[in-house]
Amino acid sequence: MSNPLFDTAIKELEARQEDIRPSDVVLFSEPLRSAVNFVVRLGRFSLTEFHEKLPEFSRDEVKRIADLLIKRHLFDLSRFATEAEPYYEARLSAMTRPLTRPPSDIWKKID
Amino acid sequence: MSKIISVHSFRGGTGKSNTTANLAALLAMDGARVGVVDTDIASPGIHVLFNLDEADMEHSLNDYLWGKCTIEQAAQDVTGHIGAEVKGQIFLIPSSIKAGEIARILREGYDVGLLNDGFRDVIEKLKLDYLLIDTHPGLNEETLLSIAISNALVIIMRPDQQDYQGTAVTVDVAKKLDVPQLFILVNKAPNNLDLEEVRTRVEQTYEAKVGAILPHSDEMMMLASSGLFTVHYPDNIVTKGLRKLVDQLKA
Repeated sequence: MSNPLFDTAIKELEARQEDIRPSDVVLFSEPLRSAVNFVVRLGRFSLTEFHEKLPEFSRDEVKRIADLLIKRHLFDLSRFATEAEPYYEARLSAMTRPLTRPPSDIWKKID
Repeated sequence: MSKIISVHSFRGGTGKSNTTANLAALLAMDGARVGVVDTDIASPGIHVLFNLDEADMEHSLNDYLWGKCTIEQAAQDVTGHIGAEVKGQIFLIPSSIKAGEIARILREGYDVGLLNDGFRDVIEKLKLDYLLIDTHPGLNEETLLSIAISNALVIIMRPDQQDYQGTAVTVDVAKKLDVPQLFILVNKAPNNLDLEEVRTRVEQTYEAKVGAILPHSDEMMMLASSGLFTVHYPDNIVTKGLRKLVDQLKA
């Protein structure tokens, strides 16, 4: 039987074409938003800790969400990860979006 | 565990840098190892409060963002600049005050995420108990990211209609980002206002805790950022208010 909350979370993550930054998390629906906000502040965390914040989902569903967040460069698989217990690190840097620049070369004039 | 505290305001001129520097000093005087980052790259200023001259800045935050140095190399130990007995230590990561360097970073931009990665590095390398982030006013990518990773957020506002509206936006974002500790600091309150009434009104409006209400201070104006207010006026009502906020941040 499908879990509508999980389906919504997956749909939101799969719809993203760009990398996800911590500040993008405000756009997620609950319970994903609160859970991701929590682990981003933890920095390094296990799948079990992430799952504790998403009790509405099964462990496998949480693993699938974590995998998608790795794909979108918000999480990295930590070197502490084992097959039994994956560990993740929240990345604060996502490099794939272009930097925003002022529309003209006005600043060059005061270099 | 280390704590990241962002100090923010929606509008400029609210006393953000002054508050950040004084909170850092009070924490360090109590024995904490404190880092302060000036992320207001376009208009840096907090170094003035720590009496740090341009000549003393071997590296700045800009150098780190351009890959010229590590973040801890950009950190200057300003403990000796406080002018009071400090049991802990304070490190300042200043933004460059060279016009050309400010222009370059505004022109070329930088990876905002790199800034936040640096926060974690500096906490680890300098073994900080607290990292205070003096943010740029308003909401942009930097401030959103800072709020997203902060354990505590101090939003400064003046009792002014423009501040009321802008603060509502910031509080809303902070709530969506689940900041564990959120405090509003009402600054520069006119002395004829009923401060308790202001507290009740602000707390009811934003459904957020008022950490302190600091009245307008002529002494602060006279000091004119030439030093740290809490050091020069340890018994002043403003210092007592900031001390109260520090106690809540430590909790």
